[in-house]
Amino acid sequence: MPFISQIERQTDYKSFPSSCPIVIDNGGSYFRIGWAGECDPRVIFRNIVQRPRHKSTGETVSVVGDHDTGLLKYFDCTRSGPRSAFDNNVVYQFEIMEYILDFGFDRLGVDGHGVDHPVLITECPCNPVSSRCRMAELLFESYGVPSVAFGVDAAFSYTYNQRLGICDKEGLAVCSGFNTSHVIPFVEGEPVFEACCRSNVGGYHVTDYMKQLLSLKYPQHMAFLTWEKVEDLKMEHCYIAQDYSSEVKLFQNKTKEAEEKTRCWQLPFTPAPVEEQPSAEEIARKAAYKEKQGQRLREMAESKRASRINELENELRGLDFLLRQVEKVDDDSVPEFLSDTGYLSKQEIESSISKVNQSLRRTKREQVELEEKAEAATAEKFPLVDVPDNMLTPEQLKEKKKQIFLKTTAEGRQRARQKRAEEELQREKHNQLEEEKRLENPEAYLEQLRTKYKGLLEKVEQKKLLKSNGNNSNGNPTSGGVGRGERMNAAKKERMRLLTTAAFDRGKGEDTFGARDEDWQLYKLMSKDNDDDDEGPDEDEAELIRISSRLQDIDPTFTAKPESGLRQTADVPRSRTLTQEDFQISMAVERFRCPEILFNPNIVGIDQSGLDEMVGVSLRRFSPQGKGLEEKLTSSILLTGGSSQFSGLSDRLEAGVRMIRPCGTPIRVIRASDPIYDAWRGASSYAASLHFPQQTFTKMDYEEKGEDWLRTYKFRYSL
Amino acid sequence: MEREVVESELVLPTHLNFKKLQMYEKYPKGQPRSRHWKHLKQILQADNFQNYPPDEPNYVNIEAPPSMHPPKRVCDITGYEAPYHDPRTNLRYANAEVYKLIRSLPNEYVQRYLSLRNAAVVLK
Repeated sequence: MPFISQIERQTDYKSFPSSCPIVIDNGGSYFRIGWAGECDPRVIFRNIVQRPRHKSTGETVSVVGDHDTGLLKYFDCTRSGPRSAFDNNVVYQFEIMEYILDFGFDRLGVDGHGVDHPVLITECPCNPVSSRCRMAELLFESYGVPSVAFGVDAAFSYTYNQRLGICDKEGLAVCSGFNTSHVIPFVEGEPVFEACCRSNVGGYHVTDYMKQLLSLKYPQHMAFLTWEKVEDLKMEHCYIAQDYSSEVKLFQNKTKEAEEKTRCWQLPFTPAPVEEQPSAEEIARKAAYKEKQGQRLREMAESKRASRINELENELRGLDFLLRQVEKVDDDSVPEFLSDTGYLSKQEIESSISKVNQSLRRTKREQVELEEKAEAATAEKFPLVDVPDNMLTPEQLKEKKKQIFLKTTAEGRQRARQKRAEEELQREKHNQLEEEKRLENPEAYLEQLRTKYKGLLEKVEQKKLLKSNGNNSNGNPTSGGVGRGERMNAAKKERMRLLTTAAFDRGKGEDTFGARDEDWQLYKLMSKDNDDDDEGPDEDEAELIRISSRLQDIDPTFTAKPESGLRQTADVPRSRTLTQEDFQISMAVERFRCPEILFNPNIVGIDQSGLDEMVGVSLRRFSPQGKGLEEKLTSSILLTGGSSQFSGLSDRLEAGVRMIRPCGTPIRVIRASDPIYDAWRGASSYAASLHFPQQTFTKMDYEEKGEDWLRTYKFRYSL
Repeated sequence: MEREVVESELVLPTHLNFKKLQMYEKYPKGQPRSRHWKHLKQILQADNFQNYPPDEPNYVNIEAPPSMHPPKRVCDITGYEAPYHDPRTNLRYANAEVYKLIRSLPNEYVQRYLSLRNAAVVLK
């Protein structure tokens, strides 16, 4: 139930005689102004001022209270948020206060020169005198108010309820407001401020705490969690737990009761457009299209190959022809004959024929064995290798060196091929053996394989972890408090160690570094290249891959383990589409955790006692002569103020007071008839009484008697 | 100014007939605000409450004393009762699940949780 301001301009200002006082309840959250003797205030609005800049004209304007947010689109509100005249529960910013009073009087319909009515305005208990002076000055000088009276809102609320017969002449007012909470004892209908007690916790703190908690819980929905919205949520859903720890246990154990107590706020949500699954027809069409494309590509490749074969065959034919021609010519005239073909000798033609032949075969995919044959043929092509050096010319020596090199590489290749063949054979044998084993006892074999797989997996993972040294142990490398050491991997750590020891050794004694050859190894170890951990897949990994592929073949239940379990789970929510549940703000423990701060200000770091203890403090502060009254006081505890509306508050307070009072003490906690308006109503009916003019003071009084007098200014509530 | 804005009388007029001293006279435009509004702390300091008789009520001495009850330790994240305390982040936590969560929290969030109970590291 969001509260709506009431700001229509009143038109009947002229009908009130100048003796009729104007009553103002200047509360921390709301400003209420109206006429003495009336039942309800005329104008109510939030006690805030905004000074936004008009977008098109650029002038700074003042906007008081809450307005239709739709109209604020013409203003640039980014520079200044809503501001309050209050610091804690004391008015200190009188410029803002003046805007608020301007607006209040304006909407009450004031016109003509000055506000020609006495004013009764509320203030906090024990308001610092400078704040009181400024307020009086403001009212006298800016508005020309004839006389002013200050009263305490909680006291008005108590006397009003007393008149209604809700509470007794002796009693306690527990007033939980917007910025602060008070406990004020009343004797003979008069507040005893000597024994009153204030804690700096109020509705503001509850809302703020809730806003912070929710926006930390749902950082993605921070934009929805405006102050006003959270205030509404608080009023609608928050309650006071009878016993915090047992209530929270319900939620911790996820009981059904807790589930029922959980409230949800659904944010506006439009589901993302769902991609339709392609129909069978569509899939078939696509497959056909793909097939057609593939066919076309294959055909193209085929035709290309055919044309290439054709080309090569032509070339071969030409070369054959040329060779035959050359054979017919005598040896001497060969170069002349060949001069316009570009070839130099018969051998060259032959070699190019063999080359073309080879490429022809390759295109016809016949190359496989031929290569080996060719290499076998080359094996005998090293005639110079075995000839002693001294029998050769320098040119031949060069040739010999080349041949030796070629021979060794050829031999090496041969050896590698052999080794590969052997390995193949070995593997074949191994596989056969395993197959036999499997056929012998499939169950045991599978089990064995699985354990082997597990062991290997662990080993490999361990290795990986060691390399990165678990800097992901947090799942989040940016998290707080990760020390320097933890961020480095093993190689880096080792390097760091080497560097520090090297530096440390330098410091003492004679510098013998470099005297031994091993010293220089250090630089190699330190250098950056050393921690290249890409040595390719090592043995374990290869084995792991082999086993997992084998397991996949024979074990239908097997699934290869993903890289890392942690990362997997973290990725899941990111990939799925958002649903309605992602746009819900659920309030479970928050419903009673936030208002709990009224009883335990410690939760939000305010080192003061809660409401129940404050009652005890107030009773203790009573002077000795008031001792007998304690029972009377506790049997009439009035709850008032905006934050006293939480359900469960009166029961909790009663239980709390019962704990600190002696056994058998009569305790009665009563709710005010209307915790929000009672203060204004009390002030209104008070101002309407005949005794009111004696309680006010004029500008003359103030100027004559000065500040010190205002300090001792005391208002009598019971008349 | 747009018509609907004018009609709703959203903006406070700068000149009000009933005022003896207009806002613009008090705080002339373009001039630096000569006046700095004292915050409550400064007001209280200036008021010198120590000099007044202690049995007379004033804003300072009516304040509630610290609680006599042992402070309730509440899990910073969930609000459950928190038997544990993480020495690295200083957060209180209720169980292993929450511990896992707080260990994965970025430092900014840790500080925001701490500032809720006025325990954050404040750099000055």
